[in-house]
Amino acid sequence: MPMEVLLVEDSPGDVRLTQEAFRDANPSIRLHVATDGVEAMTFLRREGIHANAPRPDLILLDLNLPKMDGREVLAHIKEDDNLKTIPTVILTTSDAEADIVKSYQLQANCYLSKPVQLDVFESLVGSINDFWLTKVKLPQQK
Amino acid sequence: MKSKFPLKRKIQLTFGVAIAMLLAVGMISYRGMAVSDQSDRRVRHTHEVLENLQDLDGAMETVESSYRGFVITGDENSLQAYRAAIARSEQAQANIRDLTVDNSVQQLRIRNLMNLADRSMQYAETVISLRRTKGMNAAADFVREGSGEQIMDQFQERIRSMQDEELRLLVIRNTDASRRSRQFKFVLLFGTVLGLLLAMAAGWSAQRKNFESEFAEEVHKASGAKYRGLLEAAPDAMVVVNHRGEIVLLNLQAEKQFGYHRDELVGQKVKNIIPEGFAERLVADGTRSAAEALAQQIGTGIELIARRKDGTEFPIELMLSPLESAEGILVTAAIRDISVRKEAEKHLARMEGRYRGLLEAAPDAMVVVNQKGDIVLLNVQAEKQFGYRRDELVGQRVKNIIPKGFAERLIADEKRSVEDALAQQIGTGIELTGLRKNGSEFPIEIMLSPLESAEGVLVTAAIRDISVRKEAEKHLARMEGRYRGLLEAAPDAMVVVNQGGEIVLLNVQAEKQFGYRRDELLGQKVKNIIPSGFAERLIADEKRSVEDALAQQIGTGIELIARRKNGSEFPIEIMLSPLDSAEGILVTAAIRNISVRREAEKHLALMEGRYRGLLEAAPDAMVVVNPSGDIVLLNVQAEKQFGYRRDELVGQKVKNIIPEGFAERLVADGLRSAEDALAQQIGTGIELIALRKNGTEFPIEIMLSPLDSAEGILVTAAIRDISVRKEAEKHLARMEGRYRGLLEAAPDAMVVVNQKGDIVLLNVQAEKQFGYHRDELVGQRMKNIIPAGFAERLIADALRSTEDALAQQIGTGIEITGRRKDGTEFPIEIMLSPLESAEGVLVTAAIRDITTRKVAEAHLLYKVEELNRSNEELGQFAYIASHDLQEPLRMVASYTQLLARRYKGRLDSDADEFITFAVDGANRMQRLIQDLLAYSRVGTKGKELRETSSEEALQRAILNLRGAIADSGAMVTHDPLPPVLADETQLVQLFQNLIGNAIKYQNPGVPRIHISAIKNGGGKWTFSVRDNGLGIDPQYFERIFVMFQRLHKREEFAGTGIGLAICKKIVERHGGEISVQSQPGKGSTFSFALAGSGVKS
Repeated sequence: MPMEVLLVEDSPGDVRLTQEAFRDANPSIRLHVATDGVEAMTFLRREGIHANAPRPDLILLDLNLPKMDGREVLAHIKEDDNLKTIPTVILTTSDAEADIVKSYQLQANCYLSKPVQLDVFESLVGSINDFWLTKVKLPQQK
Repeated sequence: MKSKFPLKRKIQLTFGVAIAMLLAVGMISYRGMAVSDQSDRRVRHTHEVLENLQDLDGAMETVESSYRGFVITGDENSLQAYRAAIARSEQAQANIRDLTVDNSVQQLRIRNLMNLADRSMQYAETVISLRRTKGMNAAADFVREGSGEQIMDQFQERIRSMQDEELRLLVIRNTDASRRSRQFKFVLLFGTVLGLLLAMAAGWSAQRKNFESEFAEEVHKASGAKYRGLLEAAPDAMVVVNHRGEIVLLNLQAEKQFGYHRDELVGQKVKNIIPEGFAERLVADGTRSAAEALAQQIGTGIELIARRKDGTEFPIELMLSPLESAEGILVTAAIRDISVRKEAEKHLARMEGRYRGLLEAAPDAMVVVNQKGDIVLLNVQAEKQFGYRRDELVGQRVKNIIPKGFAERLIADEKRSVEDALAQQIGTGIELTGLRKNGSEFPIEIMLSPLESAEGVLVTAAIRDISVRKEAEKHLARMEGRYRGLLEAAPDAMVVVNQGGEIVLLNVQAEKQFGYRRDELLGQKVKNIIPSGFAERLIADEKRSVEDALAQQIGTGIELIARRKNGSEFPIEIMLSPLDSAEGILVTAAIRNISVRREAEKHLALMEGRYRGLLEAAPDAMVVVNPSGDIVLLNVQAEKQFGYRRDELVGQKVKNIIPEGFAERLVADGLRSAEDALAQQIGTGIELIALRKNGTEFPIEIMLSPLDSAEGILVTAAIRDISVRKEAEKHLARMEGRYRGLLEAAPDAMVVVNQKGDIVLLNVQAEKQFGYHRDELVGQRMKNIIPAGFAERLIADALRSTEDALAQQIGTGIEITGRRKDGTEFPIEIMLSPLESAEGVLVTAAIRDITTRKVAEAHLLYKVEELNRSNEELGQFAYIASHDLQEPLRMVASYTQLLARRYKGRLDSDADEFITFAVDGANRMQRLIQDLLAYSRVGTKGKELRETSSEEALQRAILNLRGAIADSGAMVTHDPLPPVLADETQLVQLFQNLIGNAIKYQNPGVPRIHISAIKNGGGKWTFSVRDNGLGIDPQYFERIFVMFQRLHKREEFAGTGIGLAICKKIVERHGGEISVQSQPGKGSTFSFALAGSGVKS
């Protein structure tokens, strides 16, 4: 069964990069994109246009998003009994201590700082795939 | 009674015989019953025997039939009946034997029977065994033989004869028994009848006697029933006695009183209970009959002595009354126990005796009057007073001696009882007139008191002859008109005394003063109130007459001691004056209580003495002046100060020694009184000039105080020579002037403050600074110009004294705030210094207005803050810029790299080149920005400097560089490194950059890097990182630390050139400087200083 990953990211450039990186790492992964917090919640709750959205196996979440900020999204996910079982990885440019702490307080599964260099970034994505989508045991239910 | 004796015996005898007869009868009948019992038993016995015989007969027959049966049947079972029968027969035999044991004939027969029974048994046994052994026929044959039958016949015969015998015996017995019983019956009947007859006879005889007397009683009963009831019910003891003196009747009360039981007394002589007096009275003797004797007693209550059963006697009163009776005249005596009454009478007699004694002894005439107004009793005084003999008055009406006023007062009329009438009089002394035997009247005063007696309430009157008093009263009345007004109105006590030394008259003041009532003193000797000194003075002796004696005293006030009623004494002054009277010359003494005056005099003397003492002892010159300005008193100091002798000054005008200023102040003029004038001066020390005897003047200070005296208000002046003080004051004034000069000249504002915080002195600068006028500040609290921080510092509190408080402040410039007159505040710096003065330690404060300095400081601070802020902003800006620049750069770099990756070789070579440059540029830019970020982080992300182990930091740096170190094969060594005050992360970064550089810019061969630290002065350490690398040209020593300045091409060495700039920034942040020493081709040594942490050194 192909892995479903939801990427919540507002920068299209970053989106494409991530897509490319995932394609290299594991082509079978289906990468869904939400460009702001509201859309992310709609997707996860399978509302509106996302009524038929699949339940992601992993969420990659940027912190600085328009409309609903990534921290809020994180909070919502982790408060929702239904959604909180989905591993939520913060993937953001910020490496501020405050952001790290806050994310973990909101029960992010882990925090990753986007590397500046491409190859390092690609390696990171590979690690994500390797760890979160291969090694880690995820709950079965959809 | 004569016949009683034998009759009683007769009756007794008869009764005795009767009883004996009955007893006999009883015994006989008992015997009869026993006999019949016996015959009954006999009959039963016979029946039993007969029964048993029958049983035996039956049993034997059964035996026979059963063995015969056996013979026929051969059935063993039929032998059961056989055996049972045998047992029965044996039992019967035994019974018969026992029953007939007393009859020998029958015993013989039973033995015979038993024998036969046995034989029969044996026969039976034989038959049975035959049957068993030989069979039926043999047995039958045996039986037929018939010997068994013979036995049986014999047996039965015996039985019958026994039965006959028994029956015969029975008949005999029965006959005997019936005969016996017939005998008994006869005896029984006879005896009973006889007994009864006898008893009847006896009873009848006895009854006849009772009957007679009963009859007599019956006769009287009708009339006496009521009498009996009364007797019993009577409260008194009632005893009825016949003419012989025997008690016939008595009641319950009599029983109780005398302690006897009724029948113990009835028939007894009355003498037993009333030994004497009763019986005698009743004796019918030759002179008179019982009736007559009785008649004399009847009605009267006779007092006698009675005797109880236990022998004790008690007084009784008898009341007799006759009672007709068949036996003649009986006397009913009502006996009353009068023990109590007798006691009372005795007591009364005693009292009477006592009373009589009192009466006789009384000083006053005592007359006891009864309710009717008759004199019952009187004493000898009464005899004397009224001129009567006792018996002339006893029984007479009291009216005879007290015509009016007494009896009337006592009359019990309808309105009130005697007691009430009396009650109203009791206690009061009533004035009446008494009448002597000789007809003369005299005034009396009576005091009544009641006296209970048997005769009712008596009145005891104590009668006092008040003639003398009356005379005195009359005289007084005469005098009264003349003197009453004077006397009573007199403020002093007035006492008029006659020639005999007796008080004739006195006024209310005298009463009060002496604490007596008027009448307690009238007629009394004056000695009682004035023990000594008065009476003596008045005595007319041979030498002079009363008048003369008196004349000598008249007019003068004589001081004596008087005595009050309560015994206390008090000083008096008496003034005597004569008074002509009918009784001769009386002396009127005006008596004044001079206790108070005496006290005051004593007190004054005391005060004077004390005052004199003080005056003399005073250190200052003391002069006492009277209202007119004359010196009344002075002390030795005054003598010395003014150079006069005491008596040269006393009486002189005070002006002589204090020319001006004193007398004036004291003058009582039209405007105010001496007191007011004085009041205004009192207390204040007034400075004046004094004049010595020798004419020299000297300054003085006088303190006035008033002194009450008899002569009016005197003024005590304490005079102090203040010459010395004046000198000192002058000197001080001179010094002050000098000091003032300094003060005024001072460039700073100078304020002198006393210990309480008041401004004592200030200079013109102070005036200017604070905007006050000098006198607006002098005396004011320092707080007014320096609200906070000054006064407090100076306060001498529990911990330290003013000097100490001051000492701590002296010298230091203290910055506080001053307040101007207009309320504006300004910053000041004060420098304190102490100043000894007469008033204690004063504080001189030099006050400097530091407004401008403050402004400059503030400005500086402001600038510095701005700078900091600016730097901060810059730092932030750099950080943010770098950070935000990263993003688009990342896009550019990433995508150009992707392009390169995907399309290199796919497009033409130009494209490849273009892509390469683009990628390269992007990459560089990324690195530059990262370096910038790192650089700016030194400031923004810098942490507090803390104690850090520089060795550990070095180790970390080496660890971070392990890759590069391994690759290059570099040798990194170090000396022991000290703990320093540093930001650990940055220290690591510092070491890392320097060692990294050393590795990078290496010569061929093994790079050797050594780190060391040397302590220099001021608690700092100079670290050195020495390498054997390429070295640096001295001309570039400065440049290399500048941002992005590189000495090599990019192709030669990677790097952006930020490393050393970062190092410099880190070192400068730590308060140090970084420098380099180097020789090109030999190596370089980079040095920097860090502050030691101070723990170890």
